[in-house]
Amino acid sequence: MTKQSAPLRLLTAVPVCDGHDSAINTINLELVRAGAEVIYLGYHRPARDIVRSAIQEDVAAVGISSYNGGHVEFFAEVVAQLKRHGAGHIKVFGGGGGTISAADVKVMQKRGVDKIFPAGTSLDSMVEFTLSRYAKVKQPKSAKAGSDLALSMQLSRGMSANKSASAKSARFAPPVLGVAGPGGAGKTTLIDELVLRFLKQNPKGRLAILSHDPSIVHNGALLGDRATMIHSQHDRVFMRSLATHGQAGGLSPQTEAALRTIRAMPFDLIIVETVGIGQEALPFKEALVSKSFFVMSPEYGSKLQLQKIAMLDVADVIVVNKSDQAGGARASVEIEARIRRNNRGQTVVSTCAKRHRDTGVDRLFEMLMQNEMESAAEAKSSKKKSKK
Amino acid sequence: MGFLAQISDAVEKYNRDVESNVQRARSDVAYGQEILAKWRATQGSIKKTKTPTGTELPRLALPELDEPGEIARWLGYEGLPGEFPFLTSAYREMYLEPDHHEANSNGRAQVEEPTRLFAGLGLAEDTNARFKFLTKQQRSVRLSTAFDGPTLYGVDSDSDGVLGKVGEGGVAIDTFEDMMRLFDGFDLATDSTSVSMTINGPAPAILAMYIAAAKKRFGDDVVGKLRGTIQADVLKEVQAQNECLFPVDASLRFLGDMVEFVSEKMPRFYPVSISGYHIGEAGATPVQQAAYTLSNGFEYVDLWKSRGMNVDQFGPRLSFFLDCGLDIEYIALARVSRKIWAIGMRDVFTAGPKAQLYKLHTQTSGRSLIAHEFQNNLTRTAIELLIAYANGTNSCHSNSADEPFTTPSEQYVRLAAQGQSILLEESGLFKHTMLALAGSPGMKAVERAVEAAILEEFRELDRLGGVLSAVEQRYQRAQIQQAAHRYEKQIYNNTRPIIGLNRYSSNASMPPITMVRPGTAKQRKQIARLAAFKKKHKKAAEKALEKLGEVVDSGGNVFAELINTVEHCSLGQITEKLHEVSGHFRPTV
Repeated sequence: MTKQSAPLRLLTAVPVCDGHDSAINTINLELVRAGAEVIYLGYHRPARDIVRSAIQEDVAAVGISSYNGGHVEFFAEVVAQLKRHGAGHIKVFGGGGGTISAADVKVMQKRGVDKIFPAGTSLDSMVEFTLSRYAKVKQPKSAKAGSDLALSMQLSRGMSANKSASAKSARFAPPVLGVAGPGGAGKTTLIDELVLRFLKQNPKGRLAILSHDPSIVHNGALLGDRATMIHSQHDRVFMRSLATHGQAGGLSPQTEAALRTIRAMPFDLIIVETVGIGQEALPFKEALVSKSFFVMSPEYGSKLQLQKIAMLDVADVIVVNKSDQAGGARASVEIEARIRRNNRGQTVVSTCAKRHRDTGVDRLFEMLMQNEMESAAEAKSSKKKSKK
Repeated sequence: MGFLAQISDAVEKYNRDVESNVQRARSDVAYGQEILAKWRATQGSIKKTKTPTGTELPRLALPELDEPGEIARWLGYEGLPGEFPFLTSAYREMYLEPDHHEANSNGRAQVEEPTRLFAGLGLAEDTNARFKFLTKQQRSVRLSTAFDGPTLYGVDSDSDGVLGKVGEGGVAIDTFEDMMRLFDGFDLATDSTSVSMTINGPAPAILAMYIAAAKKRFGDDVVGKLRGTIQADVLKEVQAQNECLFPVDASLRFLGDMVEFVSEKMPRFYPVSISGYHIGEAGATPVQQAAYTLSNGFEYVDLWKSRGMNVDQFGPRLSFFLDCGLDIEYIALARVSRKIWAIGMRDVFTAGPKAQLYKLHTQTSGRSLIAHEFQNNLTRTAIELLIAYANGTNSCHSNSADEPFTTPSEQYVRLAAQGQSILLEESGLFKHTMLALAGSPGMKAVERAVEAAILEEFRELDRLGGVLSAVEQRYQRAQIQQAAHRYEKQIYNNTRPIIGLNRYSSNASMPPITMVRPGTAKQRKQIARLAAFKKKHKKAAEKALEKLGEVVDSGGNVFAELINTVEHCSLGQITEKLHEVSGHFRPTV
């Protein structure tokens, strides 16, 4: 390929009640090496999650690896649900070694599955087939207004046009929370725990997440945040995974356009997640986010190391996660000292996001909601003012 | 320095002590004579046996040594069967035919054979029929249960989107009534019956159902008599098999509760099978498999000792499970594991002899079997059986040749069962004399290399902060995935020959295979009777689940409570409640 075209986006997963991920792990790597962006959902995934994710991520095809039986029904269910949501253009393919018989394949193809790789298919031929065939998949002409499909297509268009949405569509303009932090700090888990609380406390609330995964190999990317964000796989959460393609600062070249497009959509809260820590470039320009969290673990080394982290001077809240680790208390003290010197009204919160019902996360969530209510009130009053 | 580094040191010290002993046997004349005298006495006490063609053989084959130093070396590095550190075997006479000269002097029944075949399909009554079919091919009643996908994940058969998976790949169990159907006609209270259950995430609820079912049929007193094993290995789920349901801390707590209960009240039952099979099947090398299994085992010991449990009470209730594939490392994996476990338990955890024993179940490797020209799988499994028995496994499952396609058909599971009988009962390899194959120079060379590599892994895990810390850093998972990737690459590069796949392959079409599938009618039947159960127990279930939640929150023994809960609640209801109070397992991919 000499043309600089957008990389092929695929979603892969292992079905519900199935944990056989050895094959798909290897296949993911090979697809990514060949230049695809693969959103990997993980194992034990119901059809509903697979379909929702495929539509939100605007993928060309869904690859399912099934070694635990029930594949005829499961693949058919995925195909049927995609159709029902207007996304029949997304192709479904997969494999299961010898567990999928030739007779099964016939039935599955009749029910709409595009391709099943038989046992012994070489990785090379799988990758070649997938990349060439699914590059030809095109988005449908239209989608039902307000559906995930419509939002997804709009988002993709907004991102590729790389233009900011016009100011008048700022009629929604929900608060945007930026969450940055180095890999290993538990940022993804923390966000998912905040999402869990948001969904519980706001029975009608809708949330959008822009997630940036730094894992790149050649031109491809393995985007695995969804696999860890178990509570975010929910009808009221819209998520788009972006590859950073090596850009410093931990964001994608298309993030700004994506964010401006999403802000014009009916969400109550938007979360932008990135690994950028500000050493190369501050990831969040002021206009992009209304509030920022910087998530770190107690393992930053010495106080001197803290000085290098620019985000500590900019973020509204510093979250010391994995506070159960050795050095958790010391870390909080050192960071408190730093922000006192900054004198910018920043806060430090200690959390242990992996803990069920962690009180630190509860506190952080309350702060976030407080802020959300305040900015919603502000938006209302400024609208009233502008109308006068 | 954590306990893994200490154990590495202890094993190396053991080896050094053997060397010093050899030197002493040579320099200290009196000591040397003592060794020689003991050796001669041992030789003299060995009984003789006759083969079917009239050849006389000793029941224990010892090397022909008469130099004290060499005797000391052999005793230290190979050792008599059943003696610390149990390198040769855990027990004195493994698969030998009973001694005919003893002529029923102790009235002992014939030795229980090690064969234990894993089975599960369709509904409880279908698996019950398969159990009955299998026990016809064996001397003792040694059952092993495979569960379907929904059961493995703690999900009810009527759950949204799982219809096609009910009864697939294993038996569908939703309630204790299903358990009663599953073991109908089997006397669970006798000595010659034992039941193994291969399940992990929902293990405590499933064992509770088994106990409730046994009590209903045989009365409360049966509990202390039950023999069997439940897999329940949390750490290997997180590292490899992916069937962990609750956060690691909560899962370890539930497991600890179950082990504590069983250690006190069920002295003939194994509440955990610390497994390497799945680690191997997920792609780990044999060395990694052995190292992670052992380190997981030591981690459990450390956790439960810290919890206040008595290592000499729970130690003997631990069992192990390894893979056996075609790589040469397998000819020493089990024996080295026995040695490292014994030394670690004795010298670092100060456990007594019963807790030093590494009791092992082996399964021949599923991953080694392929779809192309699948009848070759019979040969692969036969070779793996030979290796497993040469390594002194205490229990063994042989895969069926149709494994790559389906849960075994009757035709192929019969062949798998008979493969073991042919090896143990028909062939003379293991029934006349101990150590027929053990201790060859090649085996010793592999042993030394494998032992050193395992100890190096221990040191690496220690550097990472121990097993739990390594798990949090995804260390074991990453190592396993890398090894799996390398294995696949080797197959496609033809550097790892797989006959019929990348070497000597033919384009012959596949012979017809019977796929064993439950069918929709059976699936709907299961859903219907589950609905009836739920309706009948609706009020009692609500109360029982509330009580369960209270026990979790108050720090009580959750397993003890589950035995009550299962009388009214389905597996799915219990799982949902536990998710509510303890959270969900969060995968890291």
